[in-house]
Amino acid sequence: MRAQMQRRAALGFGCGVICSPVVWPFAHPLALWVPLLGGAAGAAFAAAVPRESGGWLDDAFTSGALALPFWLLLEIIVLPLAGGGQPAWTAVGLRAAFGALAGWLFFGLMLGAVLNRVLAAAHVALTPVPQAPPAGKPVRVLILGGGFAGVTTARKLEKLLGADPSFDITLVSDSNALLFTPMLAEVAGSSLEPTHISTPLRASLRRTRVVRGHAVAVDLAERRVSLQPDDVQRIARTLEYDHLVLALGSVSNFFGQSNIERTAHDFKSLTDAIRIRNAVIANFERADRESDPVVRRRLLRFVVAGGGFAGIELAGALNDFARGMLAEYPDLDARDVRVTVVHARERILPELGPELAAYALAKMSERGVQFKLNTRVRDASATAVFLDPPEEIAAETLVWTAGTAPNRLLATLGVERDKRGAVLVEATLAVAGHAGLWALGDCASIPDLAAGGTLPPTAQYALREAETLAYNIRSAVRGATLRTFHFTSIGALCVIGHQSACAELRTPLGGRKVHFSGLFAWLMWRVVYLAKLPGFDRKVRVLIDWVTELYFPRDTVQTIEL
Amino acid sequence: MISLAYRRMAAGGLAGFLGALAMLFLPSGIGANPFLVVVSGTAAGALFAAALGSRPLGPGATLVWGLGGAFVLWMAGCALDLVTSGAFRGGSMLDIARVHFAALVGLSLAGILFGFVAGTFGVSPEPGRARLRVARALCGGGFAGIVGGWAFGKWMEQAGFFPLIAGIVGSNSAHVGAALHFAIAILIGASFGLLFQREIRGVGSSLGWGAAYGVLWWFLGPLTLLPLLEGARPDWSVAHAAGLFGSLVGHIVYGIIVGLLYAVVDDLWRWLFERSDPLNRQAEGAGILALSSIARGAAASIGGGLLFSVVMVRTDQLSRVAQLVGAHSSVAGFFVHLVISALIGASYGVFFHDEATDDRIALAWGSLYGLIWWFLGPLTLFPILLGGQFTWTTVAASEGVPSLLGHLLYGMGLAVAFRALERRHLAHLFIDARLRKSWLRRRRPAGSPTPALLLFFIAVGTLVPIILT
Ligand SMILES: Cc1cc2nc3c(=O)[nH]c(=O)nc-3n(C[C@H](O)[C@H](O)[C@H](O)COP(=O)(O)OP(=O)(O)OC[C@H]3O[C@@H](n4cnc5c(N)ncnc54)[C@H](O)[C@@H]3O)c2cc1C
Repeated sequence: MRAQMQRRAALGFGCGVICSPVVWPFAHPLALWVPLLGGAAGAAFAAAVPRESGGWLDDAFTSGALALPFWLLLEIIVLPLAGGGQPAWTAVGLRAAFGALAGWLFFGLMLGAVLNRVLAAAHVALTPVPQAPPAGKPVRVLILGGGFAGVTTARKLEKLLGADPSFDITLVSDSNALLFTPMLAEVAGSSLEPTHISTPLRASLRRTRVVRGHAVAVDLAERRVSLQPDDVQRIARTLEYDHLVLALGSVSNFFGQSNIERTAHDFKSLTDAIRIRNAVIANFERADRESDPVVRRRLLRFVVAGGGFAGIELAGALNDFARGMLAEYPDLDARDVRVTVVHARERILPELGPELAAYALAKMSERGVQFKLNTRVRDASATAVFLDPPEEIAAETLVWTAGTAPNRLLATLGVERDKRGAVLVEATLAVAGHAGLWALGDCASIPDLAAGGTLPPTAQYALREAETLAYNIRSAVRGATLRTFHFTSIGALCVIGHQSACAELRTPLGGRKVHFSGLFAWLMWRVVYLAKLPGFDRKVRVLIDWVTELYFPRDTVQTIEL
Repeated sequence: MISLAYRRMAAGGLAGFLGALAMLFLPSGIGANPFLVVVSGTAAGALFAAALGSRPLGPGATLVWGLGGAFVLWMAGCALDLVTSGAFRGGSMLDIARVHFAALVGLSLAGILFGFVAGTFGVSPEPGRARLRVARALCGGGFAGIVGGWAFGKWMEQAGFFPLIAGIVGSNSAHVGAALHFAIAILIGASFGLLFQREIRGVGSSLGWGAAYGVLWWFLGPLTLLPLLEGARPDWSVAHAAGLFGSLVGHIVYGIIVGLLYAVVDDLWRWLFERSDPLNRQAEGAGILALSSIARGAAASIGGGLLFSVVMVRTDQLSRVAQLVGAHSSVAGFFVHLVISALIGASYGVFFHDEATDDRIALAWGSLYGLIWWFLGPLTLFPILLGGQFTWTTVAASEGVPSLLGHLLYGMGLAVAFRALERRHLAHLFIDARLRKSWLRRRRPAGSPTPALLLFFIAVGTLVPIILT
């Protein structure tokens, strides 16, 4: 490419020199710098000519048009300054240089036409030298998991590698979109349309091959991943790799309680949020028809197991949604509607400081949410949730956010894992003893170099880990030094109900923690997460949903039968 | 079946012949041998049409080629005169250009004729080209004409021009003149839509077409048709044209407004009814493209803005700029100037992101945009904002020469930086094969009259003020 450009420029220089004497009759007669300057202009012009340029007339007119600004620059500014004088930018100065204008204009016209013909004639000499194919096969990077960690790794690799053909990136995901989990509670609470918080993978990745599939086996020795057969690909498909990135995330952990697993709603995917929303609406419909007050109360009782971020945000959203729906059901009694959070520890939101947790508890209780602290969900049936210390809550809806475990596929890999089941990695995110194997996000146990222990499994960390990982893969392939991952959380934000949130932020200098809550924290939550939501169109859609919600009631259309 | 190239040559020859005849009869001041004029006119028309080859062209595109060709022919004629008269001294080229100013007007009118004849009879069927939407062209163009006419009318009112126009229908009432002026403005606007609808890619090129169309109507209107309709012989002399300098700027400003509004209405229309159709979906949506172009345009303006500020410092203009916000210091002026240049840069990003196919064309579009802002800024908006008066005079134009240079430098700097930023962005986008394909589809095909438009407007927009002042 560069050699081709140089040849063009050389031809351009020649044409410029040949055409420039046309200037002499009008200005600077026989001055030798004119052909030199003409040659330079020709070289620059030729270098800028695209391969599929138009005819000679087009090029003549284009360079003729450029001759005017060229004339102004040269005759009015550069030459007078070079002669030690002032730029001649007065009407008198322009008039005096009028002759030179004609000269440069004819030069421009001629140069464009001549160069066009010369370049066409020299076409063979100028056709690009076939690029040497990259040595060997491209390096195959295979990413398992289309969540924050996997998708960001692919994006960062694309950014680092550009169009570099020596890499081949593939992402395997069992869903075709990246789910923005921080807004999942708002989908369950009917504030946001489900698809507005998911970004299609194919639209957001540029050169990564997206394979929709469920990975079922990884052969580390043969460097191969098998996908589950489905109704389209009936035989298990295998993908080979040179570098494998494990970004499989986590799944709910029901601690072996099969009744709970069968009865409870999970709260991890878009489908889960849609089902929870529809369950609330369906229960209101049934309660409206129900004459038995005990059954009615059972239908309008919603239990959320787990008082961490996900559970609290969901409880706040469900409470607002359910209480708002009462306006459409005049026969139902507001006292029957109840959202209960069951939490195993003595305070909710262990991720935040005690003051904020107390604020959240007080605020949510004020809005009608009930809390059962130091309590566990022991068992569940279709009509009741059984707690420990022993208590029975008559409820037909239970949502489980009380425990997660890394993806089960990891257990089959034969790599070292921590007691949660996450893959142990070094601070470079490489799995020790397995060249070309990397892990990050919720499925990895990453050492916290600053504070000791391991890093928390949150999106905030997963995004940054992905950046380091992409850099390290490229470095590993090129034999460069790997980076270690360091990051200190910027803070945390948690929405607890209508226009109120808790915020704990770390100051940039000194790292002091600042707490605040209420409307300002809620506004901050919205600004920060809207900025983080991938895809400009998604931001617009979510913003419209939020504005709509200010003026119209939340949607209570039931979209699926349960 | 006669091939397109021959048909086009015949039409070009006919146009050249008619143009030459008209030039012999109309103007005061062409004193060449009539036979030579007719023969060379016919030959020039035919040859130019031959040079255009068999590229797809409609009347609007051919008209612009005709104007570009007319300008080159005029310059060549002046040079020939200079050579044959044996005077190889720079200064005298201007005198010759002034003497032959009438020929520039005449040749431009012949160029228009060429556009109509060769563009109508030499038109080629273009596979895949969009159909002309007449209603849209007339509505959009008519609306743009009204607004452009209103702006131009403000100057006419101040310069007492309306009674002159009323002379066409034998009246001398300003109201009749104003009514006629608006009717003409609407007609010209609508004709702009009809002629250029299929040439316009975006707002940027439309500004260019509009400005060139404005110049054309100056040649055609006040210099030719107005005297003819009033029963007088048109006077194309440099002295008479200099007296109509205000009207030239008015026509250019009118053309710019027509071009701008027409493209905005057209774009809005296409955006609402065509681009929103999922069948026409682009991988990078219109919203994202517009916002990122604004950001890139504003960033790209920094270099050009700083270059321009050097001119401003040397000509002591910064304190005048500061007056726009009621301040007087040069520092305030510098900041106001940077803000203005960022705004214009952002608008360049939005208007021109689809226009430049290579660095040369980018540079030329940048110069054209700079030149447009010279007419709009120091010659029009600036004096109005500071004093409420139009100063479309040769004196103001002479005083604005440094600023003309500054604007051209600014435009070129902006265009080069914008293209560099755009290329970086595209390099990232183009790792996606789908985006590369759709972008290539959007690009202006080779053979369009853009080079002629650029040459005509940049040359005439720069030269005519020099010749007339
Ligand atoms: C309701 C909720 C709210 C949250 N709010 C926040 C918050 O506000 N801030 C914050 O920082 N974090 C938050 N988190 C945590 C955050 O979502 C996770 O830390 C983050 O998603 C981890 O990213 P990951 O890519 O490792 O895993 P995931 O996002 O879980 O992605 C794993 C991906 O792998 C796919 N996958 C799994 N198994 C297979 C397989 N066998 N084959 C193919 N694909 C497979 C999954 O479908 C999924 O797409 C929230 C989580 C939830 C559930």
